[in-house]
Amino acid sequence: MPSTSTAPSTPTVAVTGTGEQLALEGVLDVRTLASATESLQRQGNQKKLRTLDLGKLEELDTPGALLLWGLTGKGVELTGVRAEHRALLDLMGSLKLRPLPNPATVPRWREWVIDIGKDADEAWHDMLDVITFVGRAASALRHAFLHPHELRLPSISRQVAETGVNALPIVGLMAIMISVVIGYQGVAQLRPYGGEDFTVNLVAVSVLREMGVLITAILVAGRSGSAFTAEIGVMKAREEIDALNVMGMNPMEMLVVPRLIGLVITLPLLTFYADMMGLLGGGVIAQLQLDISPVQYVDRVRHAVDGSDLFVGLVKAPVFAFFIAIIGCMHGLRVRGSAESVGRETTRAVVKGIFLVIVLDALFSILFEKLGL
Amino acid sequence: MATRHPSDKIMTARGIVNRFGRQQVHDGVDLDIERGEILGIAGGSGSGKSVLLKTLAGLHRPNRGEVLINGKPIVAISPAEKASLIGVLFQQGALFSSLSVAQNIMLPMREHTQLPAEEQERIAAMKLALAGLPADSGIKPPSALSGGMVKRAAFARALALDPELLFLDEPTSDLDPISASGIDALIVQLNESLGVTVVIVTHNLTTLFTVCSRIAVLVDHKVTVGTADKLMKSENPKIREFFHGPRAEGAMHARKTGHGI
Repeated sequence: MPSTSTAPSTPTVAVTGTGEQLALEGVLDVRTLASATESLQRQGNQKKLRTLDLGKLEELDTPGALLLWGLTGKGVELTGVRAEHRALLDLMGSLKLRPLPNPATVPRWREWVIDIGKDADEAWHDMLDVITFVGRAASALRHAFLHPHELRLPSISRQVAETGVNALPIVGLMAIMISVVIGYQGVAQLRPYGGEDFTVNLVAVSVLREMGVLITAILVAGRSGSAFTAEIGVMKAREEIDALNVMGMNPMEMLVVPRLIGLVITLPLLTFYADMMGLLGGGVIAQLQLDISPVQYVDRVRHAVDGSDLFVGLVKAPVFAFFIAIIGCMHGLRVRGSAESVGRETTRAVVKGIFLVIVLDALFSILFEKLGL
Repeated sequence: MATRHPSDKIMTARGIVNRFGRQQVHDGVDLDIERGEILGIAGGSGSGKSVLLKTLAGLHRPNRGEVLINGKPIVAISPAEKASLIGVLFQQGALFSSLSVAQNIMLPMREHTQLPAEEQERIAAMKLALAGLPADSGIKPPSALSGGMVKRAAFARALALDPELLFLDEPTSDLDPISASGIDALIVQLNESLGVTVVIVTHNLTTLFTVCSRIAVLVDHKVTVGTADKLMKSENPKIREFFHGPRAEGAMHARKTGHGI
């Protein structure tokens, strides 16, 4: 607030007299109520209050009237009450005043047990929901591919633009940053053994096999998975999904399939782009920290990695994309009624999307290890 | 409360100009709000009723013009003082969904006073009773209340600090006729018993004709103020259209026969 504000006149209340006969002066409102109650008790000096004079009371509001009304209930006589104050007291008398009921309390340990049970039940239903939704999405995809003319190409291309093209700057920046971090750590850790030149291998292999795709997938899960949930969730909350159904259009085909196809196209391309940017970041580190020229760097990278490293990274991308889109759309369609629900489902979609990406990545690692790739 | 300020105008707005980009909403709106009255602000959709309410409540700064409350510019009074002067009932209630109804009512008391918790609860129960809600609705979350009860709970919260001036944004919209007339009756009752000045933004003609002592109509970016009878006789074609449609005749009938409250 600007300094021109005039200081609010702080209202005061005073209790005069002692013992059985007291008087209130000043303003009795919600701001002075606490001090009034306290002085009434103190001045009353433990004797039973008989009469309270309100002749000099200037202002009274409903909390103050409630206090005075409570006193009359205890046998205190109010004297010298002004007409406008009498009206408020009568209003208090006309209300059916009942204390707020106490909410049923549950012991903490029981709350924990109940929470664990609820969470387990929810996790189980969540898993069933994901499986059901994968089935429904697969059926919608099959329908779309059997009737290619029904594929919504403009919609797919819009999704590619939104989830892919618009994400290029942030994905590129993140990829460069990650390879710079790995590069610095590699140089620091390998230098004591005289192996700092192997930092190039470290950066190239880890970016191509793991980091490129993982960083991209996590970013896309946070960026586009949440956007899917929020977009579809708002449509659901505003009954737009019901409107689609009523007009004979399938929301799975209208909303889910284009997002799914769009993201499955986009994520591998984004991953390849992130790989290249990661290698670029590695090149910068090599030049700055190891004095390896760009030409030498390209040569070293070519020897350090082969096609299978690139393949191992890229083949994971469509799978991640499929699940990120599934989770995002599923939570969007799970929105019920209100706006809070959109926020809650969006959070869940992002957490679950990132969690699934990392679990799948671990599974892929085991798979590729067994396959010897 | 009427003794506090001798002036009988609790709020004055002078030369309010509001525009968003090229769209002119208000062009020199002057409005006086008399202490203790119930003023209705009416106008078609998009005529700037809600923007005017936000400007008067100090939630929106006009491009030009000023709003005075008890003779002081509204931008110059402290937030705590403003809270005890002005209460607003928002269209959707705007009850905090993470708190129970009683906690919603106690929140301003918790922030602005040092009252002990049990005293706050007693006051909250009283405000609930004032707004015509049973005490056991206090422990419910707002999402468990019906539309009419949400409005009443929002009323109770708007009254939490006994404001002198109460703004109501569409208090009877989205309500069934029974709940709507209940709210109308509540407005009149609170105005009479607490002496609170009420400003209602509404396009519900029954509320305008049966509850409000004066009506401000927003037409062509300006307001025309008058009693319902005076506005009915207005020569302005847009005001005539507003007050002489088939729905207006029915609402006027309710006013004459005393129904609606």
